[in-house]
Order: sequence, then structure tokens, then C-alpha cells
Amino acid sequence: MKTLCLFFLELRRLLQSRLAWLAAGLTVLSPAMGLFLYKPASASTMLSMYLANPAIAGGVAGGILFGLLTVFAFDRPARNRVDTLMDAVVSPLCMALIRLLALIAGALLVIGLTMLVWLPVSRWLTGTVFGAADYVLAYLLLMGLALPLGVLAAAAAYQFIRRADLSLAVFAAFAALSLTVWADNWQLCWLNPCVWALSDDFSNFRIFRSVGYMRLTWLAALSGVWTLSWLCVRQYGKGLLGSLLRSARRAYRPAIAFVLLACAGTAYAAQPFVDHSNLDEMAMSFYEIPYAEDVVCTGRTAQVFPDVNAGTVSGRASYQFQNSSGEEQVVAFGVTPGYVISDVQANGADVPFSVSDYQEYNEAMLEVAIPAEEQVELTMHYAGFPQENRMMSAMQGGAEISAEYLCLENAALSPRLMNVMPDEHRYPTTLEITLPASMTVIPFGSSDAQAVAEHEDGTKTWRYESNSTGGILYAGTYIREDIAVDGFTVAFYYGRKHQAVMEAAGAAEAVKSVVEYCTKHYGRLSFGSADKLKLIQSRVSGGGYAADGASLLDEADFTAENLSNADKGAGAGEVMIHELVHQWWGLGNMFDASDPGSAWSAEGLTVYTTYRIVKELYGEDYAQEHYVNQWQQAVDDYYLDFYVRNPDYLAALPEDKQLEITNNLTYVRQYCEMPLKILKAEALVGGEDAMDLILKGLFGREIDPMYPYLTYQEFLDACGLAEEDLNLV
Amino acid sequence: MQMELHDLCMAYPDGKQALQHLNLSLKAPSLTGLLGPNGAGKSTLMKLLVAALLPTGGSILVDGQPLAKSERLLKASLGYLPQDFGLFDELTVTQFLDYMAALKGLRNPKKAIQEAVQAVRLEEKSKSKIRTLSGGQRQRVGIAQALLGNPPLLILDEPTVGLDPEERIHFRNLFSRTAQERLVLLSTHIIEDVQSVCDQLVVINHGKVLFTGTPEQLIQTAVGHVGVFWERNSVQEQGSVREQDSVWEQGLHITARVNTSQGIRCRAVADKLPAYAKAEEPSLEDAYLYLISKEAAQ
Repeated sequence: MKTLCLFFLELRRLLQSRLAWLAAGLTVLSPAMGLFLYKPASASTMLSMYLANPAIAGGVAGGILFGLLTVFAFDRPARNRVDTLMDAVVSPLCMALIRLLALIAGALLVIGLTMLVWLPVSRWLTGTVFGAADYVLAYLLLMGLALPLGVLAAAAAYQFIRRADLSLAVFAAFAALSLTVWADNWQLCWLNPCVWALSDDFSNFRIFRSVGYMRLTWLAALSGVWTLSWLCVRQYGKGLLGSLLRSARRAYRPAIAFVLLACAGTAYAAQPFVDHSNLDEMAMSFYEIPYAEDVVCTGRTAQVFPDVNAGTVSGRASYQFQNSSGEEQVVAFGVTPGYVISDVQANGADVPFSVSDYQEYNEAMLEVAIPAEEQVELTMHYAGFPQENRMMSAMQGGAEISAEYLCLENAALSPRLMNVMPDEHRYPTTLEITLPASMTVIPFGSSDAQAVAEHEDGTKTWRYESNSTGGILYAGTYIREDIAVDGFTVAFYYGRKHQAVMEAAGAAEAVKSVVEYCTKHYGRLSFGSADKLKLIQSRVSGGGYAADGASLLDEADFTAENLSNADKGAGAGEVMIHELVHQWWGLGNMFDASDPGSAWSAEGLTVYTTYRIVKELYGEDYAQEHYVNQWQQAVDDYYLDFYVRNPDYLAALPEDKQLEITNNLTYVRQYCEMPLKILKAEALVGGEDAMDLILKGLFGREIDPMYPYLTYQEFLDACGLAEEDLNLV
Repeated sequence: MQMELHDLCMAYPDGKQALQHLNLSLKAPSLTGLLGPNGAGKSTLMKLLVAALLPTGGSILVDGQPLAKSERLLKASLGYLPQDFGLFDELTVTQFLDYMAALKGLRNPKKAIQEAVQAVRLEEKSKSKIRTLSGGQRQRVGIAQALLGNPPLLILDEPTVGLDPEERIHFRNLFSRTAQERLVLLSTHIIEDVQSVCDQLVVINHGKVLFTGTPEQLIQTAVGHVGVFWERNSVQEQGSVREQDSVWEQGLHITARVNTSQGIRCRAVADKLPAYAKAEEPSLEDAYLYLISKEAAQ
């Protein structure tokens, strides 16, 4: 009872402190930094810019301010020499605990106040995409928990050191670590969580879960450290060690500290969000495993049951094999890390299986020995929380699974067959997925999903068929708009939350004009269902991609702000154009991707064509400024790059650093240097019309099925040019 | 309230032996004066009694319970004024006392604060910021916080330091009244503070108890050992005037030298008074000095 009274006393005293009010006031204002100065979330969605950045900035500033306030509050009795009077009345240990709790309570009050103050501002800035759940979770997780962590860290530093100046220095160093060295490590950046994007149109539970996990891990760790420091609170005239030994006599006290630290350590080591994939982007181990001899896959089915509340997936997959080898064969599957295979049966009998610890490209390898029988039906059950690729650990959120959105790719949908050849039907696949009735299921590709059953629990089962070992499936609260172009239909899917913005921006018209341009200049698409193309707005992912009969558009390019930005012209439409053009250059004509460092890829012609369309739509000046000039600038910088001029130094760098630099340089070569070369080729062959004819010829050329790729040499030959003719230096 | 000290020892980490085998019994109601020269171990003893330090040997019993087990009870019953303390300068007197009253968990803090402020005569300054107070006024705030809630045990380390003579008399009387129902332990090296009000005295030096008893008993120990003489007589007797104020030489310790029209009149204590000294009735100060000087000689 007295402890409770003391808590309220200390809280009241804190609330009477001018310094506390100063810290509180600055903390309440600090989200403004996220609008102008500190913008760690790089995506251009409205929630990234106007919710994530202010909340993270508020957390950084609030954490630091409350850390400083904590040192001041803990040092105050000693500084005023009142500690002798207070220690005679209340145990220093009790007082330290009360003081900590009062500071944390004060921090929580400030968070509440900040949320109230910024609610109308955020609502106004984010407009129609504002969501109460996003707002509350962003401010609680991205900002809120930083303050107690700052309090715990600073209090622990003071209790160990018992000198305000040194404690402040230690706390500052700890905060600086988070802001610098640990900034890209999602588990260590305790002050500034790794949040690169929040989705406007769909949910953000996955990234919030990840940040919450990181915060709770640190909360346990710092609580443990604080408890240890609490045992070092000086009492009975003893020093650090003497006080520690005295306080630790009650065994439960150090036990609590060690339990907290053990929890934090376990949580750190056993985090469920990110896998342990090989960081080498060139690794190809899973693609080099030998195919099972005389075994073909004659079909597969899967029933997938995502739990949209827990963010998990469970399922049953079945594979039909024809084993004509007369021997037992080992079949390999790619399994998404985080999934647990509970059982595997061959023709109804349990068979042994193993899942590798080694992971590559967000897959572990499941190996199953199938019996030496002619026909084998292999079934397996799997379930779990899909982990994201370690290489993208600072950009989590892609594995979102909620009642608003999900994206299951390849092994995340069902185990992906790795080493068995197809029969003549090319892996006939039937896939069923059960989801809330409000969600629309969109297989990425030419297949269409049909609702086959409705259930009493408000879910629907969808079924679709395809031919693949993996596949990608999107589902969400989508609006579908069918756009007809010359007998060709574009099924345009976008988030329900974004309907008003899309309609206002005339997105459907942009789609129409692009399809018209490409069909006119290059010809109709030859792949998939020739009369249909899906255009799907995805949750923010950092870019789009295209596949057989479908193209993906990142929601970040369709924000209200982007679409209404006069300086950018039709920026959102341009991304749409780019991704659509990939249906022609990327799918209609494939490019050999065996050398990922090559400048010649699907991007060169796609970027060039995008430029041409933009030039037609918005004029030469605009296209020159936003495309050619920017390519030229990037290429000029590229040729001046130290590592380009001195490749020996690049080779001397650590492998991960080399990869990072190489990837950046490759991006410039593919997205800027190659379009410039094509532009130079255009001038050399006689202008745009001549180049259009050449490209039309290349697009419609007869494709060699043994090597279906469009090569750079073919392009040069079609232009009648040699490689050196297109040198830019 | 009763406190018993058994074979109490305290050695600091630097090896300094602050207290050696102390045995004491303190029982309410009592105003016990703790006397001793600077560095005698008074403050260390006080800190041990308020559990600010842990003894390196022996034990302290509070109402029969070891202090380690009854620390919470002790803190709830204690009013403590340390020798060296500070105050929250940014608070007013009332705010500070309110904070301390809340720390003590007093049920009726307003009344307790009012009583304490009145007791230390700070009514006029009760709304003043502590930073504006004089040294004596800050000392009185310190005393007031100790008096808050009328604790059954009051431990005051040099409480009258910085107070003017009139205030000292006031506080002596205040402590005396307070001790009618409680146990008050008053540490000082100012004899006047304890002379008229303490019913028990404890004299310590070099960490050892030299005397425990009533002031009268202490005075009694000095009867026949206090004398006065003219300095010229002593010069004639000894042939020269020597530095004698603080040196126990030839068994004589001069405690006062007064210039008069007839010459310098000296007052001294000695185990055996010289012939030229005329025996005098000892005061408490004489007795204290006799005790200390005798211990020094040994």
C-alpha cells in the first residue's frame, strides 16, 4: 500500500518538475521531425511519410529525452544531498523502483498525449488512407515503447555508475549505436526500428509484429540489465560490489534479472520473423541438386488455410509421382522457413523426411524418400509463421497475412517441388485456399480463381488451376476493374481503400493508353491468355514485376500525393507503364538472367520504351528531364565511381560489402546505361521510327525454344551496329 | 522503543576503526546526549543506528529484533537529522516537508507539517523557496523534517550547528519536551546543548564508550579534579610559563584562561591538583574534558 502511495507521490513530483514538462513538451512535438528532418521510412506511401516517420522520429527523440530526464531524476537526490534524508525513511532500493515506475508512467502519459495531439494532424496528412488501427499501433510500437526503453537504459546506467555525467555519456553511446552501427539490424536498433514502409491500402500487421517483437526483446533485455543495476544501488555505505552482494542475498532478485536476460537472449536467437538464408546472392545450391531419375510429377494439389488473425498458414499438399526407376528415390522440396512439416505419407504410409538447416533464397530443403512403386501419392501437412528472407530483414512486411491482404509466394503457398521433372502436362496443379469472404483471390498468372464453397464461419474456399511447381497468390480486399483495349482485357485490381484516388487519377485510362501504344508499336502479347492481362496493385514492396499474364504495381507509386504531384507529371502512371511494358520486354521476349551483373536485361528496353511512351504522353521536355538527363547523370557518376575505376579495391572488400556495391552498380548499368545506349543506337539507326521497326522485328522474331532469350548481340545485329559503336565514354 | 548495541564494531574499507566493541542500551523515554570530540565516531554510530551503514561486528537490536530484520519498522519510527544533508532548493519549505511527509507515509500530513513548522519557528518562511533560506533556516527545515509525524525515535546529529544562541536554547527545550515520550538521541560536541536537558549521556572517543550515565554522574567523576589558580602562581612554582592548554603534562589541563585586573585566572582539570590550585565545583564541561583528557593520557 505504501509502495503504491509512494508511486503516486513520485509521479506527482515528476509532474511538478519543470524539466519533466520540458521533456514531455519536446517529446510531444518531436514527431514533427519525422516530417522534415528524420525520415527513416523511405517508401513514398502516405502512411510511411506521415505516420511511420513521425512516429519513429518521436520515438527516437522521446527515448533520448526521457533517458536524459531519467538520469536527472535519479541523480536529483544525490545532487541535492537529500539522499541521506530519504534513505532514512525509504529503502534506496524501493525508491529506485518507485522512481523508475513513475518515469515509465510519465512516459506512457506523454505517449497518450502525443497520440491525442497528432491524431488530427495525421488524419489530415494521410487523408483517405488513415486508419485507426495503423495510427494506434504506429504510435505505440514505433514511438511509444522507445520511451520506456530509454528510461530503463538510462536508469540502469545511472545505477551502475552513480555519476550523472558518465551515465549520460554511456546512455548517449548506447543510443548512438542504435542510430548508426545497429541502424540496419532490425533486432538491435532498439531506438529506431527498421521500418521502411507502411502500406496505405492494406494492413501492416506483419511489420508491427516485427517491431513489437524487437521492442519486447529489448524490454526484457533492458529490464534484466536494470534489475542487475538495481541490485547495485548503493546502500549501507557500500560500493557497487558490496551493494550487489548485499542485495543479491534475496535470491529471487538476481533470479528475476537472469530470467529476464535469458528471455531476451532466447527471443533474440529464436526470432520467428527472418530466416537464415545464405547472404550470397549468387548461391545456387538448391538449383544444382540432381533430378530424381526416372521420376516425373503427374500432378499436385494443395489446400491452404491462412489464419489471417495469427498471420500463419497451414495446409495439406499432395503430389502424384510416377516412379519408373524401380528404386526408392529422394524427392526434394523447397519449404518456407518458419513452416513445420508435421508428417509425410507415401501411398498412405508414413515415410521419413528431413528439413535442411541450410537455407537459400527464403527456402529450406525438405527431402523425402519415395518408395520404389510405380505410382506414388505423397501427402504432407505443413503449418507455421512464414519467415522473410534475411537479405531483406531491414525491409520486412512482405509476408503480410491479414484479413485485408496476403501474398503467398511459391514455397509459402505449398512445398515447392525441386528435383522432379514434369510429365507432358507440366505439373498440373489444383490449389484451394480458404479465406475470409471479403477477400478476393488473385493467382499471379493467367489462371482465374473461382469461389467453390462458402462456410458458416464467414470464409470462402477458392480454387484455381495452374501448371507450376510454385506459384504466387495474392488476396485482399480488392476492387476489380476490367479495361477493354482492342479486344484485349486488362483486369485491373486495386485496394478498396484506394478506390477514390484511383478513379480520380484516371488510372484506367493510363492503362488503356499503354496497352494501345505497345500493341501498336511492337505487336500483341504472345504469352498466356492472349486476350487478358491482370494488373494487380500490390502492398508496398519496393517495385513491381511481371509474369505470365499478370503484372504487379507497387501501391507506393499510386499514393494520392504522388498522383497529384505536378512536378512529377504522371509519375504513378509511369511506373504502371514500366511494369506493363515488361509484358513485352521481359515476358514477350525473355532475357538471359544467368549473369545478374550483365547490363543487358529486360530493364534496358523496358526503361527505353517507358521513356518513349512518356515522351508521347507528356512531351519531349518532360521526358528529357525525367529520363535522359537522369540516366546521363547516373552514368556520369558511375564512370567516376572509385570502384569502377579501381576494381582491384572492390575485390579487396569483404564479401557482403562487395555484393552491396556490385548490386548498386549493376542497377545503374541496367536501368540507366543500357537505355542510354539504346538511345544512342536510335540516333545511329536513323531515329525513333527506325528503332521502332527494329524493336518490332525483335519482338516478333521467331524464338528458339532451346535458347529463347533476346541477346545484346541480336539487338546490335538488328541495328547493324557493333558493341563499340554504343560506347558512352 | 528500545535499542541495544552489543559489541558493536565498525571498520571502514580503508582500515579505519571507527567503533570498537560498543555496548549500549537506549530506552524511551529518554533524551540521550552523545558526546565526543570530532572524529570520535559519533556520526558513524548515528549512521549505524539509522541503518545507513552496516556494522562490521556486533549487533543492534530494535525492540529486541536484529536491525537487519526490523529495518522497515525502524524507518517507519525514525526521525533523522544527519550532520551533512541537503534540501531540494527548488521547493518551498512546505512542499519539501509535504514530500518528506508523503515518503514517511503520514496519514495527516498537513497537520504534521503545520506542527513541525511551528516547532521550528518557520511559519513565516513556509512558503519560501528553500534556496532563499539562510544556513540556520535550512538547519531548522532539516529539524522539522525529522520531527514530522512525531516519530518515536529521533536521532539528531549536531542539530544546533549554524543556529544562533537563542535558537539553540529553543531547540534544546524542544528536544527536551519531545523526549518526554520518546527516545531522542542527540549527538553533539557542544556541552551546553546537553547540559541542561539530557537525562542520559554517552561519551565516546576513538570509537570507544568512555562513559554512560546521567550528567550528574559524569560531574561526580570530576569532583576534586577541577581547580582554579592565578597563572603567576604556577609560573613561580614551575619557573616558566609553558603551553598547557591542550597538553596533559604534569597532570594539569587548563580549560579556561580569563584575563582579570589582578592577572590571568586559570581553570584546569587534573587527576591530582597542584598545591597552588584551589578546588572548584566541576561543571559538565569540566567533567567531560577531564574524561577526555584522562583517556588521552592513557
